[in-house]
This record gives sequence, structure tokens and C-alpha cells, in this order.
Amino acid sequence: MTTAPYNYSYIFKYIIIGDMGVGKSCLLHQFTEKKFMADCPHTIGVEFGTRIIEVSGQKVKLQIWDTAGQERFRAVTRSYYRGAAGALMVYDITRRSTYNHLSSWLTDARNLTNPNTVIILIGNKADLEAQRDVTYEEAKQFAEENGLLFLEASAKTGENVEDAFLEAAKKIYQNIQDGSLDLNAAESGVQHKPTAPQGGRLSSDAQPPKEGCSC
Amino acid sequence: MAEIKAELSTDTSNLHISNSSGNVSSQSNNPLSRKLNKILETRLDNDKEMLEALKSLSVFFMENSLRTRRNLRGDIERRSLSINEEFVRIFKEVKEELESVHEDVHAMSNCCEEMTNRLKAAKEQTQDLIVKTNKLQGENHRLEVRSQVAQAFLSKFQLSAAEMGTLRSARHGPITEDFFRALTRVKNIHEDVKVLLRTNQQTAGLEIMEQMAVLQETAYEQLYRWAQNECRGLTQETCDIPEVLSQAMEALQERPVLYKYTLDEFGTARRSSVVRGFIDALTRGGPGGTPRPIEMHSHDPMRYVGDMLAWLHQATASEKEHLEALLKQVTIQGVEENMQEVVGHITEGVCRPLKVRIEQVIVAEPGAVLLYKLSNLLKFYHHTISGIIGTSVSSLLMTMDEMHMLSKKMFFNSLSLHASRLMDKVELPPPDLGPTASLTQTLSLLREVLASHDSSVLPLDTRQADFAQVLSCILDPLLQLCTVSASNLGTADMATYMVNSLYIMKTTLALFEFTDKRLEMLEFQIEAHLDTLINEQATYVLTRAALTHIYSCVQQHTIEQGPLANLPGMDSTSLKTAMVQFDRYLASPDTLLMPQLNFLLSAAIKDQIFKQSTELVCRAYGEMYKAVTNPVNGYKEPESVLHRSPQQVQTLLS
Ligand SMILES: Nc1nc2c(ncn2[C@@H]2O[C@H](COP(=O)(O)OP(=O)(O)OP(=O)(O)O)[C@@H](O)[C@H]2O)c(=O)[nH]1
Ligand SMILES: [Mg+2]
Repeated sequence: MTTAPYNYSYIFKYIIIGDMGVGKSCLLHQFTEKKFMADCPHTIGVEFGTRIIEVSGQKVKLQIWDTAGQERFRAVTRSYYRGAAGALMVYDITRRSTYNHLSSWLTDARNLTNPNTVIILIGNKADLEAQRDVTYEEAKQFAEENGLLFLEASAKTGENVEDAFLEAAKKIYQNIQDGSLDLNAAESGVQHKPTAPQGGRLSSDAQPPKEGCSC
Repeated sequence: MAEIKAELSTDTSNLHISNSSGNVSSQSNNPLSRKLNKILETRLDNDKEMLEALKSLSVFFMENSLRTRRNLRGDIERRSLSINEEFVRIFKEVKEELESVHEDVHAMSNCCEEMTNRLKAAKEQTQDLIVKTNKLQGENHRLEVRSQVAQAFLSKFQLSAAEMGTLRSARHGPITEDFFRALTRVKNIHEDVKVLLRTNQQTAGLEIMEQMAVLQETAYEQLYRWAQNECRGLTQETCDIPEVLSQAMEALQERPVLYKYTLDEFGTARRSSVVRGFIDALTRGGPGGTPRPIEMHSHDPMRYVGDMLAWLHQATASEKEHLEALLKQVTIQGVEENMQEVVGHITEGVCRPLKVRIEQVIVAEPGAVLLYKLSNLLKFYHHTISGIIGTSVSSLLMTMDEMHMLSKKMFFNSLSLHASRLMDKVELPPPDLGPTASLTQTLSLLREVLASHDSSVLPLDTRQADFAQVLSCILDPLLQLCTVSASNLGTADMATYMVNSLYIMKTTLALFEFTDKRLEMLEFQIEAHLDTLINEQATYVLTRAALTHIYSCVQQHTIEQGPLANLPGMDSTSLKTAMVQFDRYLASPDTLLMPQLNFLLSAAIKDQIFKQSTELVCRAYGEMYKAVTNPVNGYKEPESVLHRSPQQVQTLLS
């Protein structure tokens, strides 16, 4: 019997941002628990969720930080962009104001993350077609102009929720393959683990080769 | 055939003829005739023997001549002799054959007899052996059963060679699934073997128990050493707990001391990893400098401290996850406490660098508002992180609490300092009786504090707690300041100044939550000063209308003084003159305003004073009217003295 020595080979850090009430926590909950929370309280500060997914045959652990959209937490949540490999920027397709605020969220995301942080725009509550206030085409264009991935999703029905997280992961993985993402550096938002088990030996030099040139 | 018969018959007749020479018929009883007769009677057809004989005769009797006839007998005899001789010869062969067969049969018979005898003998000889064999077979069967029992016993109460090997090899190689299976076996055997103690196999039971106990101890010790080493190696920032390690912890929970030591080892390894990560994040930042080192933001205290705390929050959450993976199979009580304790241990290392930095920020006196925001931020993260670590004693939480207290203390210190500076150099009220510069400035500080309080990340109830303190810390000295600075003013000036100052405070507070009580207090204080102003204004009007003297006489008049009209300055003429003035006031009441009232910042307050003072004037007029129209007071034609009724006055003034 051979149990895999490791549960996953990469960790990607994600952050979910966007106005309050757009459904950030619901998206996370749907992704990690496959359930919809009808009465979700406002997030206080920042919450945390994880799930292991597979990207191109590699096990990847997503470590997801769900931020509060309420204005009073803005200063606090800004500290969590640091070192995120992926950012899910969410608006509510039934509330135009949440779409209008995207540029401010995008500014924060650009200023506070790495240049190669993958940002995906998500139009949530796609199930409420009758109340739609932002067209797909319009948001798509905004995404293209800003070089963002884009999907409309519904935390309620689960539609595209899985894809939203996966698409971003695929892009990050691609960046790793390209070499545009430096794995060995701390706080790149991505952590890679050696695939060889280290055995039961006492190792005094068990540190990752972090000292890679950074100048 | 017919030819042969014919011939034969001819021959016979010839023969007979030759043999009987003549008188055949006459002598029937002579031998010849009898013979002849007999021959004639002979039915040759049916006599097979005769036919055969004749047939044979035809073979060699070729020539029917005298000679041959004479020799016939001899021939036949000769022939018979040779046939007999032939027969004898052949029969002799047969006889000889038969004799040899007889001999063989005899030999066989002997052989058989001998074999029977031998068999008999053998049988007699093996009888013993068979008995023995049967016995042995029985024995064998019994032994086989015993062997099976022994085998079953062994497989139940002893480890297999492979299991033994697995346990032994753990000393050098890595721990595998098999190890845990073997260990479980040892445990089970140790448990099961107790059954033996209740039988007459106690010695075996005890021995096995001891053996298993020894095996168990060494296995646990090996497992512990292995787990300890594994944990010691978990110093990378990424820390994926292998399945086997979780299993090891599950097994080690049976040995609380080893379990605890392993957790300690894990904690120590993770602790150094977290410290390293924290210092890296502070001083080195990410690849190529993105994200930038946290220390780059040290000029922006909120961002600086916020980033540090957010980093720690994330690290704490990750460490908690690692522990959950490590202890997911542990079933003993208090696992949650174990985890909290270990996370506490892990985060202990960052306390110093964190504390040093936050202290630097606080001590640099970033100003009251920032100190206040910092204290809220620290409290928020204390709350957030204790959601992960729990409320158990943890250095990190203690450090954060300490820093929270310090920043709060420094905040209040800064407020007190501000207040005492104000009192050191009391500013005189400005000529317009408006708020002093120090008041405006302090209120804007208060406004900033309250604004940051309103947008605080803390939950409402926690926010409310230190609110009263903040308010009194700022407002109480302000009130005192105002009173002191107004102390040299006249009554109306002082009241106006106080109303203005209080009003400014009130409008500042009104914008924020949780200020109701304070607002109420300010309201009371304002009202007290309002009363003064109302009275002052009423007096002002009466004075300008020259009614002051008259009114006070009316108020102080007693029966012993006699009629009012007799008092000095209270005669009808004087009253009439005063009424002219009063009429002028009634025509345009707005013109008779104390100058101070124009300094009032609030129009509403000004209106209120005007209205209420007017009412006072009306009331005073009413009293005077009542006194003048009273016959006792000796006015001849009272209606001509005070020609307006109080109702008229009231109507004119409203
Ligand atoms: N119909 C519909 N409702 C949704 C969907 N996603 C979220 N909601 C509802 O929207 C409300 C807000 O969702 P949350 O997930 O709490 O929003 P949030 O972005 O986390 O809000 P903050 O934590 O305050 O920033 C909840 O009442 C959800 O039930 C969706 O896909 N469809
Ligand atoms: Mg939320």
C-alpha cells in the first residue's frame, strides 16, 4: 500500500473582493461546501476557506480569503491582498452600483498585489435574470479592456462557481509553467512542495531553497 | 456315389458268389447260407460304418484281381497295423504332452501352496506392525489437531515473521501502513491474551502479555522517534502533513507523554518557520520586491500595523489548519485545547518582533486619532485571532492585548495632555462670544476620533464600551475651560458665550451614535443659560420701556405702604409717560433686543429667548395692570393710565 506522501503539490492563495452583499461569502461557501447559504451574515473582517482541486493532473490547495465588503473594513481587508496569487473580483448583476465600483476595487487589487496576480471578474447572482442591471456584454468588454478573466456565476444555483475558481487556478498554473511566476520566493502566493518524500531521516538542512537570487 | 455303390454291390455279389459254391437255397442253416443271408439282409445304405469301411477300402484296393483279393485280408491287417502304429506314435506324443502339463500344474500347485504358506507367515509376522501403524496413525491425527490448535494459538497470540520484521525495521526505515497494522496487532494480542489468564494457561498468558508489552513499548518509542524527526523537518513555509504522520499521532495518543512531546516538536518547528516567514515578510517582501516588505510602510502606522496583524492572522489560520490535519484522527478528549495550545506555542516566536514594532509606532506619538484607531485595530485582531487560537492563554493574544492597552492608554494620555495644555493657557472669549479657537480645535479632534470610532471594525457592543470615557475625557475639560474663560464676563455675555460653546459641542456630537446621554446633559446646561438670557432680555425690554421701577414697586408693594399711587414715581403722570415708551416697544418689539442675542449662533435659540422673554414682559404688564386697576391703589381713571389691556398687549406681541 502506498499512500501519497503529500496531499497536494501547490498552494495558491486567493482573495475575494467586491462590494458588500454581492455574494462573496456565498460563492466561497458554494465552492467549499457545495451549498447555498440563503441568510448569510455580513462578513466581519476576513474569513477563510480551503479546498484541494486538480489542475493539469496536479493537486492544488486553494487557500481562499473572503473579505468584508463593508466600507469600514476596507482598511483591514487591504492588508490581505498581499501575496495573493489570484483575486476574484465580484459584482452583483442585479445592482449596477456594485459594477460601478469595480474600478476602485481593481485599483486596490492592482496596487496591492503582484503584477502577475490573476484577477477574475465574476458577475454573481446570474440566476436573477429578470432583475439584471448589467449586461453580459458590457462586463465582458470591461474585463477585456482590463485584461481580466470573466464569468457570470450564481452562488445560488452553483452555476460557474467551480469554473470561476478553476479558471483562475489554470491561469496561475500556466504562469508557473511559463516561468513567469517565481515559485521559490516567499509570498508569491504560490507555494510548491518537493515531490520526493523526505523520509524519516533527521535533516538539519530541511529548508526550502528560498535564498534564490532576488536582486 | 451311385457308381461306387453299384460297383460295391457288384463286388459283394461277386464275393459272395465266390464264397458260396452252389447250393445256397437248400441249406439255409448251414453257416454259409446263414452268412450269406446275413449279408444279403444287410442294409448297406444305413450302415455308416460299413460305408466308411468300404470307402476306405476303395482307397487302396485298386485292382480287383485274385491276387489282390487273396491279399486283401493281409492288406487290411497290415494297413490296420500301420494305422495303429501311427496312432500309437501320435498318442504317445499326446501322452507326453499331457505328462508335461501335469508336471507344470503340479509345480504350480506347489508354488501356490508355498506362496500361501509364505503369505500366512507374512501375515502372522505383520500383524504387529499393523497394530502399531494404526496406533501411530491415531497419534499422528492427534498431533495434527494439536498442531492446528497450536498454529491457531500462535496466529492469535503471536506476531507473524513479517509483522515482527516491520516492527523491527522501523528503527531504520520510514514508518509505513504495515507498521500501524503490526502495532494494532500487538495491542490486540495484549488485550486478547487476558482471556488466557482466566484459563489454566496463565503462565503462557503472562508471558505473552509481557512480550507484547515490551514490543508495544519499543514500537511506540520507535514511532515517537520517527514522528519527532518528521515534525522536526516541517520547517518549510508550506507544510503538508503526510497521512502517515496523522496516523502516527493517532497511535501516539495512547502514550500521552510521547504524544505531547511530538506536538511540542511540531510546535517548535512550525514556530521557527512562522518567525522566519514573518521576518521575511517584514524585511524582504515577495519576489522582486512584490509585495513590498511590510516595513516599507512603517511611515503609515495603520497600514504598517494592519499588514503585520493581517499577516499573523493568515499565518495563524494556516497553522491551525496544519494542526487540524495532524490531529484529525486523534480521538482523545481535549484535542481542540491541544491545538489551541500548540498554535499558541507556534505564534509565540513572533511576539517579540511584533511588540517591538508596534511599541515603536505607539511611542512615536502618532497623535490621538491614530492611537485610537490603532487600539481599535489591535482589539479587532485580538478578537479575530482568538477566534482561531481560542481564548486560552497565548502569548500572541497577550501581546496584542498589551499593545491594545498601551495604545489606548497613550490615546487617553494624549487627550489628557491636550486638555491640560488647554487649561494652562486659558483663552479669553472672543468679542463675538463665539467658540474659542482651542474649543474649535479640540472639537475637531473629537470629531475625528468619533468618526474613526463610527467606522470602527469592532462590533457595536465593544465599541460602545469605552465611548463614555472618550467623551468625558474630551468634553469635561472643555466645559471646564469654557467656564473658566467666561468667568470675567457679565451675566448676559457669559450666558451667551456658554450657550454658543455648548451649542457647538452639541452639534458636533449629534452626528455620531451613542452620544444621546451626553447630548441630553448638554441640553440641560444650555437650558440653564437660556433662562438667564430670557430674564436678561425681559429686563432689557422693561428697562428700555422705563417700566423697571414701576414693575419692582408693584412687585414689592405691601398694604402698609398705602396706595401705590402715593409712592414716589408711581403717580399717574409718571405711569403715562412710561406707557408712551412701552407703546413704542409694542409697535416694533424686534428693535428692543439685547446685543448679545445677535451673537447667538443658533437662530432657533435666539427665537426661543425672544419668545419666552416676551412672555415674561406680558406677564409683568399683566401684574402692573392688575395693580393699577385695583381701587385700593388709588388711581383715578385707571383705564387712562394703562390704556392697554393685557390681552391687547399679548396680541400685539405675538
Ligand atoms: N439569488 C441569489 N442570491 C445570492 C447569490 N449569492 C448571494 N446571494 C444573496 O446575497 C446576499 C449577500 O451574500 P453574501 O455572500 O453575504 O455577500 P458578501 O459579498 O459576502 O457580503 P459582505 O460579507 O458584507 O461583503 C445573501 O443574502 C445571499 O443569500 C446568488 O448567486 N443568487
Ligand atoms: Mg461576506
